[in-house]
Amino acid sequence: MEILLLNILNGLSWGMLLFLIAIGLTTVFGVMGVLNFAHGSLFMLGAYLCMQAMQYFDSFWFGLLVGPLCAVVIGVLVEKYLLKKVYNRDVSYQLLLTFAVLLILDDGVRMIWGSGYHIVEPPAILGGIISVAGQDYPVYRFFLIVIGPIIGGLLWSFFHFTKWGKIIRAASFDDIMAEGVGINVPLIYTAVFALGTWLAALGGALSAPQQSLIPSMGEKIIIESFIVVVVGGMGSFPGAFVGALVLGLLESFGTVFAGRMQMAIPYILLAAILLIRPNGLFRKGV
Amino acid sequence: MMNIQKSHSLSGPVLLTILLFIAPLVMPTYWVILLSEILIMGLMAVSFNLLLGYTGLLSFGQGAFFGIGAYSAALMLQAGHENLFLILLAGMLVPLLAALVVGFFSVRLDEIFFAMITLGFGMLFFSIAHSWIDVTGGSDGLPVFALPGLNLFGVVQLTFYAPISMYYLIFVTVLICVCLLRMIVHSPFGLILKAMRENKQRVSYAGGNVRVLRIAAFAISGAFTGLAGVLFCLFNNMATPEFMHWSFSAKPVIMSVIGGTGVFLGPLFGAGVFFILEQIIIQFTENWMFFLGIVLVPIVLFFPEGVFGTLRNKFYKVAGRGLQPPSARGKRQKNEKGTV
Amino acid sequence: MKKRALSILIVLSFVLVPFIAVHAAPTVKIGFTYIMSGPFSAYGQFAKQGAKLAIEEVNASGGINGQKIEGFFEDSTGKADVALRAIRKLVYQNKVDMLIGLDSSGVAKTVVPSIEKMQIPMIITHAATPDVTGSVCNKYTFRISLNLAQNVRAATLLAKETGAKKWTTVGPDYAFGHQSWEYFEKYLKDLNPATTFLPKDQVAFPPFKTTDFSAYITKVMSSKPDGVFVSLWGGNLIDFVRQASTMGFFNGDFEVLFSLGAATEVLTALDDKMPEGLWVGTRYWFLANDSAMNKSFVGNYHKKYGVYPSYNAHGAYGAVYAYKAAAEKAKSTEKMAIVKALEGLKMEIPTGMIEFRKGDHQAVTDAHWGKTAASADYPHRILKPIKIFKGQDITPPVSETGCSIVSGK
Repeated sequence: MEILLLNILNGLSWGMLLFLIAIGLTTVFGVMGVLNFAHGSLFMLGAYLCMQAMQYFDSFWFGLLVGPLCAVVIGVLVEKYLLKKVYNRDVSYQLLLTFAVLLILDDGVRMIWGSGYHIVEPPAILGGIISVAGQDYPVYRFFLIVIGPIIGGLLWSFFHFTKWGKIIRAASFDDIMAEGVGINVPLIYTAVFALGTWLAALGGALSAPQQSLIPSMGEKIIIESFIVVVVGGMGSFPGAFVGALVLGLLESFGTVFAGRMQMAIPYILLAAILLIRPNGLFRKGV
Repeated sequence: MMNIQKSHSLSGPVLLTILLFIAPLVMPTYWVILLSEILIMGLMAVSFNLLLGYTGLLSFGQGAFFGIGAYSAALMLQAGHENLFLILLAGMLVPLLAALVVGFFSVRLDEIFFAMITLGFGMLFFSIAHSWIDVTGGSDGLPVFALPGLNLFGVVQLTFYAPISMYYLIFVTVLICVCLLRMIVHSPFGLILKAMRENKQRVSYAGGNVRVLRIAAFAISGAFTGLAGVLFCLFNNMATPEFMHWSFSAKPVIMSVIGGTGVFLGPLFGAGVFFILEQIIIQFTENWMFFLGIVLVPIVLFFPEGVFGTLRNKFYKVAGRGLQPPSARGKRQKNEKGTV
Repeated sequence: MKKRALSILIVLSFVLVPFIAVHAAPTVKIGFTYIMSGPFSAYGQFAKQGAKLAIEEVNASGGINGQKIEGFFEDSTGKADVALRAIRKLVYQNKVDMLIGLDSSGVAKTVVPSIEKMQIPMIITHAATPDVTGSVCNKYTFRISLNLAQNVRAATLLAKETGAKKWTTVGPDYAFGHQSWEYFEKYLKDLNPATTFLPKDQVAFPPFKTTDFSAYITKVMSSKPDGVFVSLWGGNLIDFVRQASTMGFFNGDFEVLFSLGAATEVLTALDDKMPEGLWVGTRYWFLANDSAMNKSFVGNYHKKYGVYPSYNAHGAYGAVYAYKAAAEKAKSTEKMAIVKALEGLKMEIPTGMIEFRKGDHQAVTDAHWGKTAASADYPHRILKPIKIFKGQDITPPVSETGCSIVSGK
């Protein structure tokens, strides 16, 4: 019984982290039609910048605030000077370009902060443990479980209830029409990419107290967030939420039941969903 | 006009073949080794491009077939089979079967969904290779100790232990495969593939079975990729799960895009550019990933048809005859988008 | 104009070439292959630092048989095919006399057959798989570093002392983790037949890419063992230790042994987050040995790079000296002569006396374990007390390794 509960909590906290990263990816894909291979590197960049800002201000909260914002600056530069040029090109070119960005960011970070491991401490208020059904459980993980849906919910309301959100959705449905009614589509694209970068970097900053920082930490997470996005349905918010939850829980329980095949779990999920619902869980057929 | 095109497109490859035949005789050993690797990866990229460039399918799981080819060769050598032809044949048939199965499930998807499902299947094979220790050697992979020999008419016994003899084994095999692939591309089957890339509905209305045709293309591509894997196994004396990882599957994608997906030999050219770039950069810095990224950016931005393809188009334009280079790939429509 | 430039060039070259030829004394070339880029590049950087220090020292004191050493460094990236390409470059392009390196066990195992074909001696300094001096061994391949079997053997001697009866493991889900556990079971069972081990489905083997270990920590804690043998390393180990300590893993309910816990890069990153009083092992510990040689190595290394040497720095450093010793014993740098001289070579390196066994080419070398302790003098945890397991006590006999080297010629 305790094992069941603990595995649910483990799955939730991992799933919510995946969710944050996946919504950035899925938003960028939904609006701009670009699958961003460098999303994981922006995640990594967020973690490093959070660490740096934290050392500077001596506060995790400042790191969480400032780090991702600094990453946004880099994200905007990438969009304005690189991505913009390949929107109309084949998906393989977009993948290669974002792969080049990945190489530059990963190695750039290594050149700045070195190849060793770094760690970030959670703030004192989130550093302790609390008792759940007689088991000790870290507070920081509850924080992760809570913060994911909060940010997701805020974003969802932004897209559905504010003028800007509606404009972005309009641009994502039909950019030519949007342009026609006087919407500045290039500006929208830049803003959306900035938002996606911020989400990735925020995910990185939030996971920093949880895992050691190395320049390649984004490569581990990018494929899983791809899977979450595809399983949920590309461009779908609720899809990313459900996909992240399912993957998080499956991986958590996989440690109990899957034995040596646990590393195959995400890929089995991916193949199974694509075979049953080729467009993912939450996307209407084309 | 057709004739001019033909002569243009044949003189180059013939010259290249002669060059590749002579080059190792005058090159330093390490460059012969590098050229061997370029040819192997080039074969992988050219067979991959049968999917991307000709059928319009972006496969992100080619590493699986490459790895299956390599493992079949390694396992046969381990079991004591030393017949080169048998090993090459098995290294084509086993990946062919695997590609038939994967293709059967995957080809109904398009674009990025196809890329993701092939990535998923590829990583499944990776997981199996990684976990099935008794057969595949697990994460370590299989070291290969003996190489097959080749008995020519019972007179000459050839071995491939010296780098240069290994090179010629690779050269001949790749040459034959590339010729076969070229025949396939220029056959009616190849034309239908291109037609499907442009508009699969129309092919379907015209009576073509899109699904079967795509599975066939996928299986052919998988078989030749597997053969490249066999060569890689013989060349490196090993088969490891790394060959099946998605990062290995990304290599032919990168090479094809660099070289140009619209030209038959573009991916081979791309493989060469990629390796030589890497070697040059590694000479100067340990941060080669950073500079490789820096170099890739302008390649993507300023060579919309790949380095080889764009230069070729420029050449045709300068020639001023308004010739369309053969099998050039049109600009594609923007990706389909989702909703937020 | 062009002609004149050409003639000047020709004249110049006639003048310069003999000049260069006279002054460029022949060097001994050593090729190093380590992970220099990507996630594990820290290992390559340490090794490079150690190797460079050794080369500088040797060259300053007159070189090898009067010849200076020239070092060539190539990036293996931790992938077998790339590592082999790097080695081929060193052998065919740079024409090195000797190879040193290899971090990853999988890479070492698959590359070793090619070493034999290229007929060049190699000293492995990090990769720990027993197989390279076991089932796939050959007469050109040596290893100076502590291997998996030796280290696990030391761990079981320690495990027996703790008195814990029921053991489980947390290890990376690849050959290293699984082999570590197999050897641990085998050796501990020999030492104490009363010990029990949890079955395969109850021990924890997190995949290598894992960053969230909570599910595994939960699994191990709920199986209520008396002792846990942890073979995680690097970033996995750092993440595991931090997550485990918040979940109460180190509250003393069971014994914990970390087979690679005393790696300096791990201790440095964890700093005071490494709990005190845990048993940790390593392939080299810079404070374990008071010999003059170790003191000078640690002192010079710290002076030059500002950090304490890791086991990988030590391996590369020691291998350069092993090559020097072999070349001086053979009075030659000819490859086959080096192979013969290395066989059975007894020498001192910073960690202590070692001997390259004739039968399998594995160095018989000491293992160091200790309990983590805080110290004001060092920027990270140190080991106190330190336990030294003698090489001959922990190295399995050649007959057990499965190695049969066709020696001689």
